[in-house]
Amino acid sequence: MLSFQSSKNVLSLTEDLLVRIYELLAAESDRKSFRLVCREFRRIDSLTRRHLRVIRIEFLPILLRKYPRLQSLDLSACPRIDDGVVSLLLTRVGPGSNSPSLGHWAWGLKSLVLSRATGLRFSGLEMLTRACPCLESVDVSYCCGFGDREAAALSSAVGLRELNMDKCLQLTDVGLAKIAVGCSKLEKLSLKWCMEITDLGIDLLCKKCVDLKYLDVSYLKVTNESLHSIASLLKLEVLGLMACPLIDDVGLQFIERGCPSLKVIDVSRCEGVSSSGLIYVVRGHRNLLELNAGYCLSLSTALLHQMKNLNHLEVIRIDGARISETSFQVISANCKSLVEIGLSKCVGVTNMGIMRLVSACINLRVLNLTCCHSITDTAISAIAYSCRSLVCLKLESCNMITEKGLCQLGSFCLLLEEIDLTDCCGVNDKGLEYLSRCSELSCLKLGLCTNISNKGLSYIGSNCLKIHELDLYRCTGIGDDGLEALSNGCKKLRKLNLSYCNAVSDRGLAYIGRLEELSDLEMRALHKITGVGLEAVAVGCKKLADLDMKHCEKVGDSGFWALAYYSKNLRQINLSYCGISDMALCMVMGNLSRLQEAKLVHLSNSTVEGVELALRACCARIKKVKLFAPLRFMLSSEILEILHARGCIIRWD
Amino acid sequence: MDLKERVCDELQKEVPKGASSTNFNTQHQQKWEDPSSTLDYSTRIEPPFQAFNQTCQTQSLLLCNNQIKVPMQDGSINDLLQQASKIQDWDPSAMLNNLSFLEQKIHQLQDLVYLIIAQKGQVLGRPDELLVQQQQLVTADLTSIIIQLISTAGSLLSSVKQTLSAATTSLGQCGEFGGVVFPSSAQRLNDGVQPQNAGGSKVSEPQNSIDITSNNGNEQNNHIVEEHELKDEEDAEEGENLLPGTYEILQLEKEEILAPHTHFCTICGKGFKRDANLRMHMRGHGDKYKTPGALAKPTKESSSEPTIIKRYSCPYAGCKRNKDHKKFQPLKTILCVKNHYKRTHCDKSYICSRCNTKKFSVIADLKTHEKHCGKDKWLCSCGTTFSRKDKLFGHITLFQGHTPAIPSDEIKVAPAGTSDGATNKVGSVNFNLSSYVSSESEVQSSSMDIKGGIDDAVGYFSPLSFDTCNFGGFHEFPRPPFDDSESSFAFLLSRSCNYSQKSGEE
Repeated sequence: MLSFQSSKNVLSLTEDLLVRIYELLAAESDRKSFRLVCREFRRIDSLTRRHLRVIRIEFLPILLRKYPRLQSLDLSACPRIDDGVVSLLLTRVGPGSNSPSLGHWAWGLKSLVLSRATGLRFSGLEMLTRACPCLESVDVSYCCGFGDREAAALSSAVGLRELNMDKCLQLTDVGLAKIAVGCSKLEKLSLKWCMEITDLGIDLLCKKCVDLKYLDVSYLKVTNESLHSIASLLKLEVLGLMACPLIDDVGLQFIERGCPSLKVIDVSRCEGVSSSGLIYVVRGHRNLLELNAGYCLSLSTALLHQMKNLNHLEVIRIDGARISETSFQVISANCKSLVEIGLSKCVGVTNMGIMRLVSACINLRVLNLTCCHSITDTAISAIAYSCRSLVCLKLESCNMITEKGLCQLGSFCLLLEEIDLTDCCGVNDKGLEYLSRCSELSCLKLGLCTNISNKGLSYIGSNCLKIHELDLYRCTGIGDDGLEALSNGCKKLRKLNLSYCNAVSDRGLAYIGRLEELSDLEMRALHKITGVGLEAVAVGCKKLADLDMKHCEKVGDSGFWALAYYSKNLRQINLSYCGISDMALCMVMGNLSRLQEAKLVHLSNSTVEGVELALRACCARIKKVKLFAPLRFMLSSEILEILHARGCIIRWD
Repeated sequence: MDLKERVCDELQKEVPKGASSTNFNTQHQQKWEDPSSTLDYSTRIEPPFQAFNQTCQTQSLLLCNNQIKVPMQDGSINDLLQQASKIQDWDPSAMLNNLSFLEQKIHQLQDLVYLIIAQKGQVLGRPDELLVQQQQLVTADLTSIIIQLISTAGSLLSSVKQTLSAATTSLGQCGEFGGVVFPSSAQRLNDGVQPQNAGGSKVSEPQNSIDITSNNGNEQNNHIVEEHELKDEEDAEEGENLLPGTYEILQLEKEEILAPHTHFCTICGKGFKRDANLRMHMRGHGDKYKTPGALAKPTKESSSEPTIIKRYSCPYAGCKRNKDHKKFQPLKTILCVKNHYKRTHCDKSYICSRCNTKKFSVIADLKTHEKHCGKDKWLCSCGTTFSRKDKLFGHITLFQGHTPAIPSDEIKVAPAGTSDGATNKVGSVNFNLSSYVSSESEVQSSSMDIKGGIDDAVGYFSPLSFDTCNFGGFHEFPRPPFDDSESSFAFLLSRSCNYSQKSGEE
């Protein structure tokens, strides 16, 4: 950026060249820098920007006015977007100096993410779909209150191609029929946890939306009838049947004969599905790319025999299966293009088996060996030696792994980005030193590794500069010095878990405060920290969105005041067992305008009135609150009714 | 068809089966075990001449129809009695039989004419109408006698085949009568002689078909004989398993069908729904009605006489249930007639108080609907309701653009929008059909399946219906103008028209 700024010619660059430059900027922070250069650059930014994820709804009108060419709008992070807001946006936003008419911003919109927009109802949704004629993709997942009316509102978006309705709990066949009839161009539909959907709805969907390429009916109570209907979908490529308890091998027989384009199938956790069902699927679809069959089978020899034909298979997940060494041999000998293998909680995974498996899978990128207790450094060495392009390795609870294995990983798997070593007590500082050679590492999980200390952490802090997630849960050996090293190196850290690291004090939190990108901090039961430490975090970590400080009993009101004042982006907070006073509680709950979820159990220093006031202060936007059970009868019924009416979920503990 | 009617139908269905395999008495008993028909029809079973006299005295218009049936009924009974007792092979005795039948018929006619003469001058009410009816009656009987005479003569001819086939094709009813004499145990009437010959053993014999009857040796043939009333040959192809010749057709008039009471006191004129109630009422008119004989069911008395199966015709000209229709399908009981007439040719005046959309002309239908009204929670955007979800989804699968309606939508939209649409549609359909019919007269059979079509297709048949034809497009309220006109002067017209048709047939 500096080079542009210093050059006299930078402003003489034509608009299209600037746009090209802008488009090369990938990171959001870089784009921010770009638009802060000058007005001209900002104009380029506003003209070119296609995607917008809004965090604070109060700026939405300005943003929408500023970016007239938006194609994708993500409102999932906005608390309590509701029908009124939508109506205002559509009627008021637009008459800026440049925009020709009302609601202009919506005309070009193709993608809309409304995940968890529980405040929205069908009228608002209807307004939105009417205002956005080009809408192609809508995400209303986890809008638990959504049902048939909302589906009917969505069905007026006739050009819709992608729709995610996960956990729209009220959705029934009627709503699905509305969508099936209205949005006949649908290509991708996810219906996870829409528990009311039955075979009838799926059948109609398959008859009306023949272009479906992606269909997820996981967790639904659909039967083999639905599979019979689904089998008629000629273009279907991805089929999710996870945890459908009523589906069995007979239904998979339909899939054998149907769905000629099938590439991915997920039948994991289907109680009724056995090896023979999988045989049907495998026999009918030689070109299968991905097979998810966790927790529903033991690999029979017949299935293995069929799997020999799956030469194109890239992903196989057979979590929880009983597996023998010969099976590994068959898989590795035939499925040469495997990219991902999931063997989580498999019984029978041995060093020999892993060695046979990885010997041929040189393209392997993801390997999940969670809870494969019997593997040792030998297997890890084999993996490291064979799979040089490994990106993700999960070794949770593999207790026999020591620094020798990590040494091999640090030597050969230099592309490693994610490693899960939770509960691997063999990991020590030396091991971390070897591991720190993997400089691409971005996610490191070291929970319950009690043998690591500040020294080990300092290797990570100095070498793995790309780390954005670090889990140090119950790493009791970690103290303030380790955090200092971490904060010096890992500036990109976004998620940090320090729970039960008892040695951490206010000084350590002060180092944490230097991590500007930090958005997610869990620091349960840090008994040494006080308000000073919290204040440092609140002041420093401007992006903090999720804070869990359960059992931080020594933190006083000064810390909470700072929190209420600085952490404007806070979305979730856990204050259970904290000594917060009524006043501070009201401040925190009332002042944090993004707060959506709060856990407020066992607040020793606050009264019923305090909690009531705090709830009143935030009732307009809070979505989920956990309260001490006896308060149910002490709080006024009025506030409870208000919360209920606002769609807030109260959990009593 | 409601439950009652269905039960009736089933009972009735059994009758022909029994009749075909057993003799007349059993059939008769079965007939009387049918509860609904007995109640409604009890008056009709009285000895025909008695009824005739009675009605002439009281001048009850309602029973006019009976008078018309009288000769045939009587004739048939006599004929049947004779036939049941003898003839297995064709011989002069059969001829004698026919002749005696004719003689009887002539006697009846004679009586009727006497009666007319006696009544002249002293009639009250509508003398003209009655006179016209009686005249037509006479004409009808005469025609039938002539036809029978011809056919009897025809049966004597040696080359019976040719004449019969010629008769069936060219002479029409004449030939039909000849055909009626054929037994036709399983085959249809217009299949003619050949199949029967093939079935029989004396194929080569040039004698008439009664030979074959005897060869078949079934007594079931007996009751076929008396079927002059039957009309077109196509009729034979229709209906249940009954052959066209095997039953008698009765036709009630509109007023009779719609009358709340079917049994009237001859003394005070009070009406009753059931004959039993009438008999109880009669006790109040004097001791002579209190005798056990008068109180007893008249059925026992008449049960000794053999009867033939009765079927009913709808008086509405052009209706498929009308005997003039090409593909006539008779109605099985009086109750069927009533329900059919109300459902098909009357206003739907009973409106469901719950949904305010569904209308019925039979109160029992309304009650049946009300049991389910509201339970039809599966509603399509087109306004159609379904009691089951899978039915709705099947409907949606079939029809493009239809979606299930969500309950609140229904409250907002359905009463105004959909019902309007529905009525408009009906109106336009009526319009199209009526105009079509008035321009082309050949469409009747093709449009029969459409309800509205029937109503309008009738058009060119009866003089009365020219009115409806003229109304043409204004026919959006199919019934009211029609009914009005009928109740006034057109009533006479329709009646006379019906009679004339009948006489033509007979």
